[in-house]
Amino acid sequence: MTAQRAKINRLATGVPGLDDVLGGGLPEYSFNIIAGPPGSGKTTLAHQLMFSLATPKRSAVYFTVLGEPPLKMMRYQQQFDFFDAEKVNSSIRFINLGEDTASGDLDKVLGRITAAVREHEPSLVFVDSFRSVILADNNAGSFTTLQQFIQQLGMLMTTWQATTFLIGEYFAESEPNPVFTVADGLIWMRQCAERNSVVRKLEITKMRGQATTPGLHTFRINATGVQVFAPAPVTAPDEARSSSSPTTNRLSMGVAGLDEMMGGGLPCGYSLLVAGPSGSGKSILAGAFLAAGGRRGETGVIAAFEQRPNKSRGREVSELIGSGAVGVVDTRALNVSVDEISMLLIAEIRRLKATRVVIDSLSGFELALAPTFRADFRESLARMVSALATTGVTVLMTSELEDRYDDLRFSPYGTAFLTDAIIVQRYIEVRSELRRVMAIVKVRASSHSNDLRQFTIDDRGIQIGEKLTDYAGLLGGRPKRDRGQSSRGGAEDG
Amino acid sequence: MLSAAQRIQSSLSKRTAAGWDTVSIATKVVSIWRDIDAALAPIIGHRGVAALFGRCLHLTRADHAWWTTAHEGTADQIDFAAFQSALSQQTTVNVLAFSAALLQIFVEQLTNLIGVSLTERLLRPVVDIHSTGDAAQETSP
Repeated sequence: MTAQRAKINRLATGVPGLDDVLGGGLPEYSFNIIAGPPGSGKTTLAHQLMFSLATPKRSAVYFTVLGEPPLKMMRYQQQFDFFDAEKVNSSIRFINLGEDTASGDLDKVLGRITAAVREHEPSLVFVDSFRSVILADNNAGSFTTLQQFIQQLGMLMTTWQATTFLIGEYFAESEPNPVFTVADGLIWMRQCAERNSVVRKLEITKMRGQATTPGLHTFRINATGVQVFAPAPVTAPDEARSSSSPTTNRLSMGVAGLDEMMGGGLPCGYSLLVAGPSGSGKSILAGAFLAAGGRRGETGVIAAFEQRPNKSRGREVSELIGSGAVGVVDTRALNVSVDEISMLLIAEIRRLKATRVVIDSLSGFELALAPTFRADFRESLARMVSALATTGVTVLMTSELEDRYDDLRFSPYGTAFLTDAIIVQRYIEVRSELRRVMAIVKVRASSHSNDLRQFTIDDRGIQIGEKLTDYAGLLGGRPKRDRGQSSRGGAEDG
Repeated sequence: MLSAAQRIQSSLSKRTAAGWDTVSIATKVVSIWRDIDAALAPIIGHRGVAALFGRCLHLTRADHAWWTTAHEGTADQIDFAAFQSALSQQTTVNVLAFSAALLQIFVEQLTNLIGVSLTERLLRPVVDIHSTGDAAQETSP
């Protein structure tokens, strides 16, 4: 006989990113703790969950205890977009337990909670702050009394089939606490300071019955409430891409001659790294790439970390941004994480059904990160590139490259291996004149030119010129005339 | 659109015009405040309501010299008996003016704290009870 297991419904929390971290939503009838120090966002998260989940058929009761005075709590919480005054006293009821808690009699507190649950039969129950209940306990020294109270409360809520949240000021997970033992779910919220930066982080340390996403996940609190930045889902790029060979479908780079150098354009779904020193024309090339898509009716997304995205990439890109054909990811927030930018990029890609993405530049991206994330930039970037690949977009990333003529490298982060294709731009000096050269270093699974081509930048953008056939040692920074040398293009890179 | 305070006050004025005496008006005013307490105390506690009520009495007193602090209750909860007793000793005109000012200030203070929509939402049951009915047909309490 096949055992019929109890089905656990998962509630969609309505908090962006939280369901992904929880492993698909919040288990119905679970008994949860939202823990963290003051100011970590516990009450805001609880309110956002409540206003999102509460409906006339799934009502909520929010018990306030001795923490934040209810009037002030409502004053501040209504500043968030999720606060809907029309739900108050209909699908949401606030009940003050302050006077009962002040008596220090836990039986009285439990009695009030029981009476309210019987009267309103809520599907969602919040107790804020549960820590206050514990501190007010007359028998604070008596572990048994507190444990009994928690067990009775847990039993009551389970019996009434209420999904419950106890909000509490706790400072360390290591605190011996019977509440943590009884709870089905434990959500920790913290503010982590490093140097001058403060980053909010959330961790699901316990959630019975489902696999959560382990680790510390950054979140922000803004006018819309809490937004959690879950790690972008990663699948193997080769699996994610279409079954047809990517090199059969290619995208134009928008620069005359460059597509031919790349063996017919940039293969669809590839990631391209454009590396070069400051002013070499990386952003202009990125703009040309987006503009080429725009001319074909394709949409794009840009995350610009250095320049104003609609000013410095030419009129055509400005117009595409203005018309909404190219979406701009806001990178102005302080202390961003790679997961945050990944989530914003993927959301914008999905919104616009974008095919082309530009990240300009990785150097600016690294600077925009909170210090706490910089050490893991390479790993996080690898995850982001993989996540973007799962969406099927073609990605162009630029990277600032210090001109070091004794050391040929393409990225200061060792990220060259992450990308499917690499274009390198360099400065050379010829007859007391600074000139630009460009080469295709790699296009995975495709033939491409090995030429080192001169290029110039004018009002129309990048103009690719001829090879400097008379010179050798260009990348060494000191080219020498070398008549008689010529290149044979068409090498293949695996 | 009339505010909560104006709608209740309008109802009280109609009762005065209908010939209600001071004691009846005072009883009605106290019943309004009992209902306000009942509407807000579950959310902010009786102490919370009493604290806000006390603050509003203090603000109202500035324009109504006859009201003294002796009429005010303790911090734990509103002393409705003392409030009714104090009102009953005044003229109908005084009671009406004081009640109107007190209610107006209370709604303003609450609105300052939690905004118009939430104030109206929380006081809606009180307004529904006390701003409806024809005063002329209603028997004085």
